[in-house]
Amino acid sequence: MPSADRYNRQILHWGGEKQQQIEAAKVLIAGVGGLGCSVSQLLARAGVGKLYLVDDALIDWPDLNRQLLYTEEDIGRPKLQVAQERISGINSKISVEGIAGRIDENFHCPGDITLVVDCLDNYTSRFNLEESLNSGTFLVHGAIDGDQGQILTIQKGTSQPLIQLFAGSLQPQGNIAAVGANVLTVAGLMANEVFQVIFGEAKLLNRCLILGLGDLHFSFLEV
Amino acid sequence: MIRVEFYSLLRLLLKQEKIDLPAVEDESVGQLLPRIQQQLTTPFLHKLLDENGALIPGTIILVNRRNILHLDKLETPVHNGDVVAFFPPGAGG
Repeated sequence: MPSADRYNRQILHWGGEKQQQIEAAKVLIAGVGGLGCSVSQLLARAGVGKLYLVDDALIDWPDLNRQLLYTEEDIGRPKLQVAQERISGINSKISVEGIAGRIDENFHCPGDITLVVDCLDNYTSRFNLEESLNSGTFLVHGAIDGDQGQILTIQKGTSQPLIQLFAGSLQPQGNIAAVGANVLTVAGLMANEVFQVIFGEAKLLNRCLILGLGDLHFSFLEV
Repeated sequence: MIRVEFYSLLRLLLKQEKIDLPAVEDESVGQLLPRIQQQLTTPFLHKLLDENGALIPGTIILVNRRNILHLDKLETPVHNGDVVAFFPPGAGG
């Protein structure tokens, strides 16, 4: 099917030129858990040309309330493997490449990426991801805890680094509260920001969107 | 004036998004904190400081967009027109 047909509903919205930008983009998604499952799916459905997925975890029962790429039959399988299968099934016209392993100090980010999306669940890996980027690379950060979420875009080398901005943050011991509807809301807004970055129109560059989903409160923190 | 902003769970705890305080000459963040608390009905300093008055992890404090841990910590000066933000970020993904 020609991409003009497949994508005609979104082309009605953003036009053919921006669709071409999306199809030329190469995006690395760090973590295919709650946020990463939905962000990767939305980018694949929109036709982002190449997705790199990174994860090291196995699918477990508590993942199923929010990690939309996985089913009961996938319990015990590597998230990365299942995510690649499902994403390829959603859109066989794009390229999906898996990078197995944890994002630690030895992580090497592919050099051809347009931007990276931080769907990770801990700050140590976030700081390692940021460190691995070439200067000038955009990073869309997202995080959630219960009904509180945040989304921020930075550009390596010009923005305040995440490792400085989030110094003094608390990494909770044990599980972090996660409700499917809240996770999907943050993931949808992250995907929207990814498209804006691809278009050269980032809305959250050095401007952290802070979501209170319990009382539907949005605020912005300039950073 | 000094603009003080509260985000996320601190906004919910304090039921306030921001307050304005008159600037005081030669004041630091550490000296500003009790003045902020005086303006609020809900205690919140225990979220920021331990029993010895040292910063505890959980809330980032920004002065004019910069984390005070990368400035002079509680000794970071605050001046008329500055914006001081308190934000306990989420970590999950």
